[in-house]
Amino acid sequence: MALVWALVVGLLLAHNGYLWLVKGVVPDTDILALLPVEQRDPVLQQAFTHMVDAAQQRLIVMVGADDWDQARAAADSYSAVLAKHPELLQSSVKLSAQSQQDWLAPAQQMRLGLLTPAQQQALREQPAKYWADSALQQLYSPFSGPKLGAWQDDPFGLFSGWVQARAQETPVRPRDGYLFVEEKGRPYIVLLLNLRQPAFSMATQQALLPLLEQAATAARHTVPSVELIRAGVVLHAGAGSAQASREMSTIGIGSLLGIVLLMWLTFRSLRPIAMIVLSIGVGCLAAFSLCWIIFGQVHLLTLVFGASLIGVAQDYGIYFLCSRVAADQSLNSQQLLRRLMPGLTLTLAAAVIGYIGLALTPFPGLRQMALFSVLGLVFAWLTVIFWFPALLKPATLKSSSFAGWIGRTRRHWPLLGWNRASLLAAVLFAAFASIGIARLQVNDDIRSLQTPPKELLAEQIKLGKLLDAPTPVQFYLVRGASAEQVLQREEALKLKLEPLVARHIISGYQAMSNWTPSLQAQNANRALVSQALLGDDGPLKMLAAQLGEDAGWVTQMRNRALAGGSAGHELTPAEFLKSAASEPSRHLWLGQVTGAQGNVYASIVALRGVNNYADLPILKRAADQLDGVQWVDKVSEISSVLGHYRQYMGWVLLCAYAAIYLLLFMRYRLAAWRVLASPALATLAILAVLGWSGQPLQLFHVLALMLVLGLGVDYGIFLQEQGMQRDRFAWLTVGLSAASALLSFGLLALSGTPPLHAFGLTMLIGIAVVWMIAPCFSQDSQQEEEKNAITS
Amino acid sequence: MKHLIKVIRTARRLTVIALLACAGLPAHAAAPVDKIQAMLARPPILCGRFDQSKQLVGIKKPLLSNGRFCVVNGKGVLWRTLQPFPNTLRLKRDEIVQMQGDRVAMRMDAKQEPVVRMINGVLFSLLAGDLSQLDKLFELDGSVQGNSWKVALKAREPALAKAIGTLALTGGAYVKTVTIDEASGDRTEITFSGLQSGPTAMTAEEGAALE
Repeated sequence: MALVWALVVGLLLAHNGYLWLVKGVVPDTDILALLPVEQRDPVLQQAFTHMVDAAQQRLIVMVGADDWDQARAAADSYSAVLAKHPELLQSSVKLSAQSQQDWLAPAQQMRLGLLTPAQQQALREQPAKYWADSALQQLYSPFSGPKLGAWQDDPFGLFSGWVQARAQETPVRPRDGYLFVEEKGRPYIVLLLNLRQPAFSMATQQALLPLLEQAATAARHTVPSVELIRAGVVLHAGAGSAQASREMSTIGIGSLLGIVLLMWLTFRSLRPIAMIVLSIGVGCLAAFSLCWIIFGQVHLLTLVFGASLIGVAQDYGIYFLCSRVAADQSLNSQQLLRRLMPGLTLTLAAAVIGYIGLALTPFPGLRQMALFSVLGLVFAWLTVIFWFPALLKPATLKSSSFAGWIGRTRRHWPLLGWNRASLLAAVLFAAFASIGIARLQVNDDIRSLQTPPKELLAEQIKLGKLLDAPTPVQFYLVRGASAEQVLQREEALKLKLEPLVARHIISGYQAMSNWTPSLQAQNANRALVSQALLGDDGPLKMLAAQLGEDAGWVTQMRNRALAGGSAGHELTPAEFLKSAASEPSRHLWLGQVTGAQGNVYASIVALRGVNNYADLPILKRAADQLDGVQWVDKVSEISSVLGHYRQYMGWVLLCAYAAIYLLLFMRYRLAAWRVLASPALATLAILAVLGWSGQPLQLFHVLALMLVLGLGVDYGIFLQEQGMQRDRFAWLTVGLSAASALLSFGLLALSGTPPLHAFGLTMLIGIAVVWMIAPCFSQDSQQEEEKNAITS
Repeated sequence: MKHLIKVIRTARRLTVIALLACAGLPAHAAAPVDKIQAMLARPPILCGRFDQSKQLVGIKKPLLSNGRFCVVNGKGVLWRTLQPFPNTLRLKRDEIVQMQGDRVAMRMDAKQEPVVRMINGVLFSLLAGDLSQLDKLFELDGSVQGNSWKVALKAREPALAKAIGTLALTGGAYVKTVTIDEASGDRTEITFSGLQSGPTAMTAEEGAALE
């Protein structure tokens, strides 16, 4: 068997070598891969992907300076550095003279159908004289606000007003071929950059971040006082990856050193260390290889979690080693293994049961972690079974004084029984736990799982304010059977949004129908203008009288106006999207999409200036009772998914306790509860501590509770399994295992990544408690304690 | 892009207004433009009468209007149409306001419309005798005859040129006429007269309006 296993391990080594050395694999770092794939609503999914994908590949850099010339000089230096790497970054805006001329052409042809809500109101309410006067004012004034084209094409300034309203959708303005915004007299040049490689790839981040630094240096060299503000998903991803790699190495090195030291103290030999490293190593190789084959990709967090979980794998080796030291020299290693098999099998089975719960979640990332852990454990276990007896002869290892000392400490532990002290402890614990748990709160907000570096966050907030850009995670999704129906539904929604703009709950909205109203609205606008301005006794006639023109002039002007936007030449989204002017609005139009109910048309109405999360319910309500309009808040949606699975995992945990109890009952009968009592109490203690300290419970705490169960069961089994005379070695096994688990998971509590911190903290408290109280549930009689004391 | 056109049109008007007050810009070379600058006076306050005639395509009669204007260096420009009806345009560093009687007909401020400050910035740098801004936007071509001069301004960018057409100025110590020819065929002529400079040039009312 040992030889067959050597062949298997050889294959694993070869495959890993191929993956790492030949293919040069890079672990996946996309945090979104850890979330479940939304399959309920394909249209919604597409809308979100549409918004997020666009946002994800975007990098915005704002170059601020004291004056325009400095800003230009700094921006040019910055861009020049980036321009050397067109394969990585691409400037997304090109301001050519051609696009500047053509951009309004489609709208200009249809100008009669385009009105702002304020203009519609004025056309309904204002008398003819108002319009005649405005037209005259414009004629005589040296400056009458924006005017596009000849006076006769827009005598009442309606089209200029509409264009101005469109311009207000963004504070960004073209100037000398740059895009710029201004704040308090300070000009900022906006560089819109598109990443041409995936933002979450570590290779992209490693190439991009130094390049940006280089560009910043160049800009500072040109203009020392330059202000650079950057925002982009890639920056956060880069910071996250750097942190994860850093933590992985410190946690990995820390736990490795700790474990090596412990082993050395215990066995005074490097051989056991090598053997345990061997079993864990085989486990890791197998887990990585097989996960790669199954998923085609391994997530970085899987490695972080998985590498820690495999720390459980050392239990099997430690158990065998400690037993070997304690066993009679006459017993050969194969016989010893046979004797240990029930306990070993039971611990593996219990751990696998725990991780099966993890695999049942719909989180692809968690499934991967569960499979990675199970595979790692099984392969480490098999390595112990197949190789350890051959590698470890009865005389190979000797007990050390340290091991003896650890083993003897067990007799200091009180045993639980029907006595006053036990009762008092139980009452105190019950009080502590019940009050703590009563105070326990939950928090599933996905934002609490992210701690972006402060400067990045500050820059992003400043940039958001300067650009007044819409949020990509909260928007309305509008659906309809046709493009026209979608636009009509958008218009119904906009009627509800106008009051919210007036109340400053939002600063504005971006919608396709702002640019191309529905045909219905275009016709209504035309009718409104014709009736209010072009009638026989309307403003046009009054204007003619003032200007000394005749009835023929009135007819000519009316015909000219009506020609601009006659029926049959309506503006449609398809038409508009062909023009350069649609560039900033393209993300809003999903067009025809295939949904659960067949093909539909869909669009996004994006909101600007959403600053207060407390206002979100008001925004949600605006979509109520509107057909085909849906409020999408991806943040709260993901948060509710996290909350759902937190609860779900809670049940999985309870079921795992029940399943493991049944498993244990088959071997230990009525004593089975003694194995489960310590992890169960540790779990209550953790919940109570979270409650007392005011830390809200979240999914990652619950996931760690799963591992507390897995490890706690191991310890219970070791203590329950050993023959009485060797129980101090069972305690040594538990001590070694718990100490190294604390070392690896305890260090996770130091992590700056909130999920890892939550996980680590739970493990820290949980394993410490299990370790401390597990011996209290032993069945050992007082006589055995004494006997131990005498023999040692 | 839309705003570029708007800015250009706005900037054109302002450039015109600014230029007519362009008193004595620093001379640096022997080119006609520099000579012209040398000929211009440079008072901190300049007020006077203007007569404007607009000839629009599609309207037979020219539109005649007149009024008073004031340019205060570093502060702003006040352009008050008196005939045929009152209309006041006021430009300050951060805003452009148009009043019809007491009613605000139009207001653009820098907060809402970032280009306002840029337009006004161009204007004020002109007033301060800094031709570099103007030189960036326009090609200047001038000639001098005795005590009078004329200058043609042509936008450097094609889009700008298309939107604003060409400008022509004539004058001596002060600008006398401004002519704007637009691509659409519309033509505007402004003539200045009765120019006064110094602290007494501006009425108290005008001073208050610019505060």
